[in-house]
Amino acid sequence: MSQEVESPKENEYGSANVQILRDADHIRRRPGVYIGDTGVNGLHHCVYEIVYNSVDEALAGFCKSIQVHIYVDGSISIKDDGRGIPVEIHPQAGKPTLEVVMTTVGAGAKFDKGSYKVSAGLHGMGAKAVTALSVWLEAEVRRGGRTYVMEFERGKATTQVKDIGASTTTGTRIKFKPDHEIFKNLTFCFDTIEERLRELAFLNSGIAFSLTDDRNAKSENFCYTGGLGEFVKYLNRNQEVIHQPIFLARQMDDVKVECALQYTREDEERVRCYANNAYNPVGGTHLSGFRAGLTRTLGSYGEKNGFFKNARPVGEDFRTGVTAVVSVHHPEPQFESQNKIRLLNADVEATVASAVSELLGKYLEENPKEAKVILEMAANAAEAREAASKARKAIRDRKNILSSGGLPGKLFDCTTRKRDESELFLVEGDSAGGSAEAGRDRMYQAVLPLRGKPLNVEKARLENLLANTEICSLISAIGVDIGNQLDYAAVKESLRYNKIIIMTDADVDGQHIRTLLLTFFYRQMAQLVEHGHIHVARPPLYKVVYKKQVRYVSSIPEMQRELLDRGLENTTLEVLPPSGSKAQRLTLSSERLKTLLQISTRLEDSLQTLEKRGLALVDLLNRSLQGALPVFRVRLSGAENWFFNLEEVDAFRKEEEKKAGKEFVAGDEDQAAAAPSAIPHELIIVQELHEIREINAALTELAAFSLLPSDLISPVRLAGREPEPRLILVHGEQTKNLQHLRDLSFEIRRIGEKGMTITRFKGLGEMDPGELWETTLDPEKRILMQIRLDDAFKADEMFRTLMGEKVEPRRDFINKYALQVKDIDYHGA
Amino acid sequence: MNQVRCPTCQAPMSFQARSEWPDFPFCSLKCRRVDLNRWFKESYRVGGDESPSEKDLPAEDDS
Repeated sequence: MSQEVESPKENEYGSANVQILRDADHIRRRPGVYIGDTGVNGLHHCVYEIVYNSVDEALAGFCKSIQVHIYVDGSISIKDDGRGIPVEIHPQAGKPTLEVVMTTVGAGAKFDKGSYKVSAGLHGMGAKAVTALSVWLEAEVRRGGRTYVMEFERGKATTQVKDIGASTTTGTRIKFKPDHEIFKNLTFCFDTIEERLRELAFLNSGIAFSLTDDRNAKSENFCYTGGLGEFVKYLNRNQEVIHQPIFLARQMDDVKVECALQYTREDEERVRCYANNAYNPVGGTHLSGFRAGLTRTLGSYGEKNGFFKNARPVGEDFRTGVTAVVSVHHPEPQFESQNKIRLLNADVEATVASAVSELLGKYLEENPKEAKVILEMAANAAEAREAASKARKAIRDRKNILSSGGLPGKLFDCTTRKRDESELFLVEGDSAGGSAEAGRDRMYQAVLPLRGKPLNVEKARLENLLANTEICSLISAIGVDIGNQLDYAAVKESLRYNKIIIMTDADVDGQHIRTLLLTFFYRQMAQLVEHGHIHVARPPLYKVVYKKQVRYVSSIPEMQRELLDRGLENTTLEVLPPSGSKAQRLTLSSERLKTLLQISTRLEDSLQTLEKRGLALVDLLNRSLQGALPVFRVRLSGAENWFFNLEEVDAFRKEEEKKAGKEFVAGDEDQAAAAPSAIPHELIIVQELHEIREINAALTELAAFSLLPSDLISPVRLAGREPEPRLILVHGEQTKNLQHLRDLSFEIRRIGEKGMTITRFKGLGEMDPGELWETTLDPEKRILMQIRLDDAFKADEMFRTLMGEKVEPRRDFINKYALQVKDIDYHGA
Repeated sequence: MNQVRCPTCQAPMSFQARSEWPDFPFCSLKCRRVDLNRWFKESYRVGGDESPSEKDLPAEDDS
């Protein structure tokens, strides 16, 4: 090669070199423009720029694996198995393409849409910036069966392309050491790079990434095939998710939109946006498109399907708890700033919005279960937002009230300032409130009348609720901030009364109000419950006057026990022999009568269970054998058969099967509940009635008192003649013939009632102020039930049940209640 | 005791010390507020006859 020939080219080289130096100089003087900053982010950005080039090669379909390697000297390499950057002379630049790519600003394949459809790199700037900012950089290219190497220093080539030998593979490996003159911190962070590579692996299904760190012999491999759905799942790995990820994808002209979303129980919105694989931390048009699509789709679906009865969600409510990845690929992405913090292409917004609307809308229609949980999340978020502003307002209002010295208008406050002694009675109803006000010790007892708001919504529906105004006066009277949940010292400071005492009527409405109040305290003022400030008053149920002495009895069992005890005193029972029998008349002493009463009370429970099943005792007595009733009920072909033990049942079954010439199918008790005619013929249903076992046990005990099973029912009248009495109660001069044993308890109580006047209070309002003080307000005499957290928990459970949040358990609850409690006694808790 | 569930969203709650559970018995502040709002809005009603009609059920639980 002669100088002559080469000189024009040398000039060209020369001017190009001047340009390169100027470019490198520019990058080195203002690195921020190219890589964001010269801190840790900028340092790592250099790695990503090279990686992006490899990813672009992969997206073009020529590369499958990308390996990043950190070395002990602080350098790093990025190696791919793509085609390898060409080393041939670039026709326009007159230099090896490799050198052009690594050094010449404004040159490179990225500007030619034909080479790479989409690209993540800095528009052909990336490699040049890295070269310029490295103290040295080595590019190794394997291509066409050869291996080439070219070296650079601070932005300019220091060697020619050197052929260093054969190669059986293809690919590019860029190794560089960042320049200490540019970067303050030269240490690559494994975790940071790992995170970015993992992200790229999710975004680009199928590319195998690896990261190796020689400094501490760590290495990681990432390759995902699940796409963005897997990415979202990964992002939510520590969250409680409420459905499987939803994946939406669509290609519109040159723009590819992919998006995956999944809702969690978190409050935040977490949307990661990518344009051509580059993470856009500030978002941009794809983010706004995603949000618009989400709001539009969920809004119209929720509206249509009635999810917004409690509150109307707005955009932010639909975003509460969502984790999403939105990735667009655009042929000409425009970003804010060189490090792509925001995507600017205006057309992307509408494209993403319409893709999300259409695809998500379709998803919701096809997956109503998922749609429901998502829409409920949004509705809850809307409610929470509304509630937050209302709670703030309530607290503000309360502060205003307190600062102006005012308390709720209905509160009858106490005069003492000593909080340790003071009590607040929450009294159901204005009239009882009035009595309590008049009867209290106004020194330390305050009264707040609360009206339950019974609503007669439909016929035969009576509901109770606590009106908004009642809740507000409750909160302001008690004085505790609803917001504070952990600082008990602060709660105690603001609490205006030491004891808060719920006082409600002993009827269903009263129980409802009590349940509501306890639930409210448990949920919103749990500290008051935990620290024992909440109490329930137990006003008496009965007023008993005996020889002008007034007493109060607080519950039904207590009243009954007392009546029985009095009735048993000096009372005996004569058991007469059955007509025609020569047996002796038996006299049971008061003491033995008491034992008999206990047996018959137990028996009564079993008998009532029997009756609830619709079985008549008299029918069973007709089947009794040796003083015992049959225990097994067998239903077959619409007929009922009774047996005393399983052997009999088996014998019967075999006999019948023989007759029918086939085996019967064993049915269960649920089928037994059906009407006999509804039982299919081949079905045999064997049922053991446990209460009859108990009845039999009681009958055995009764035999010791010379009592017969027939004493449980009224004797049969024969030809209009009054039957001979079997049982006669004797109390002093008085005698009482019993029809049957089941009347025993009732008649003994009747005797016990003699001389007493018993009044049952139907409500607190029936007590005058004196009585109320006497029974319920006076600390010396009253009975208070302190509510522990466990009780409040039960109240909450009962509340949920009564509210009918789930219809089935509610039925169970009512049935259970109906079966166990004969006369509803809410004081018996 | 039964499994404790957040009163608002029904999310099952694992046991945690009360001092680390500021929003007891709720799973989150959000759910606490939803509940409070329902008190203010008088959505909580008890009673009624044995077969509540659908519209009386709270919205989040009509499964």
